[in-house]
Amino acid sequence: MNATEKAPRHWARIQESGSVAGMRIMVWIRRRLGPLPFRFMLAWVILYYYLRRPLARRASRRYLKRIWPYHAGGAPGGMALLVMRHFWAFGRSLMDKVDVWSGLALDVRIPDADRARLDAAIRSGRGGLMLVSHHGNLEICSAMSHTRDDFHVTQLMHTRNAEKFNTLLAQATHRRPPEIVEVSEITPATAMRLARRIDAGGFVVIAADRVPVGESGRTRDLDFLGDAAPFPEGPFRLAALLRCPIYTLGCVRDGDHHRITFEPFDDTSTLRRRDRDAWCDAAMPRYVAWLTEQCRRHPLQWFNFFPFWHADDR
Amino acid sequence: MTTDLEHELKQLIIDTLELEDVTPEDVDPDEPLFVEGLGLDSIDALELGLALQKRYGIQLEADSDETRRHFANLRTLAALVEARRTQ
Repeated sequence: MNATEKAPRHWARIQESGSVAGMRIMVWIRRRLGPLPFRFMLAWVILYYYLRRPLARRASRRYLKRIWPYHAGGAPGGMALLVMRHFWAFGRSLMDKVDVWSGLALDVRIPDADRARLDAAIRSGRGGLMLVSHHGNLEICSAMSHTRDDFHVTQLMHTRNAEKFNTLLAQATHRRPPEIVEVSEITPATAMRLARRIDAGGFVVIAADRVPVGESGRTRDLDFLGDAAPFPEGPFRLAALLRCPIYTLGCVRDGDHHRITFEPFDDTSTLRRRDRDAWCDAAMPRYVAWLTEQCRRHPLQWFNFFPFWHADDR
Repeated sequence: MTTDLEHELKQLIIDTLELEDVTPEDVDPDEPLFVEGLGLDSIDALELGLALQKRYGIQLEADSDETRRHFANLRTLAALVEARRTQ
């Protein structure tokens, strides 16, 4: 059975579809014409998507309905406007992506405690795995890895499009993109490569809030914002397998600046093989709790514009 | 007839995958390691890859068909280690 054919609304088909050419144009506008024409164009692009993608609109509405009681203590009012703001937040994150790779200085802040933890993690030389999500803008963090020689990041990604986009940005900006490993399927060779990166003190970054393409098994239904949604087991299996420190990494836009958060999540260095299932049982809901907190604080910055919950299918 | 390296690999597989009821004698060098035979799965393959890298310094290419051939049974695995070991 081919899961992608069975589920035509899979995010990989929806997001980034055919957008690489559009991205190329947008990057050109940003770099040649400057921020104002770029903002203007982006507004039209976002409006276009808003009008032409009823599925994304509906997914956004369903998410916002669920998150709003956590965020504001009650049901959201003015839904259409809120959904539009959600779309715009996504557009703005694309803008930040382009900016950061264009080498423009962004106002990025790291709370002292998080900075100390990150420094300690890098200095320990033990490397690790950073669990991330599609909340906020992680490009900022990747870009940050350029600022110091001892911080090496390997990003795991599900789609070739994401890789294409990063290659495109690298061409446009003449900066080295972070190492990207495409992981529609993790092979022994991939796992070994990641283990080498971590052994060398590097960090592997993986998002755990999207179900991989074409893999119908290996997901678990967890309660997220009050309803069951499938979460991928893969990142947690990998975390257990790689036997290393595990962290959570987030980056949100907070008004006119970006804020990075970095926290220890667990350490699988001494985890026994037979205890892995139990570890996943405990770790996955903890990750969802972390994600919930990110979304609660900045509800408009979770960028999953496809049916995420089981109840939303069809 | 089993070589020393094959015996070493049997022990490595048993230790790495914590196969409690299996002894080195139980592992037939020509029998498939995965699905049939020992009945290992894809996560076991990842684990085995990591163990081989750690013990023998072996690196694999991303080509998964080739990996499958190397991981077919104990003899192919021993041949891989023989050819690629750096430690």
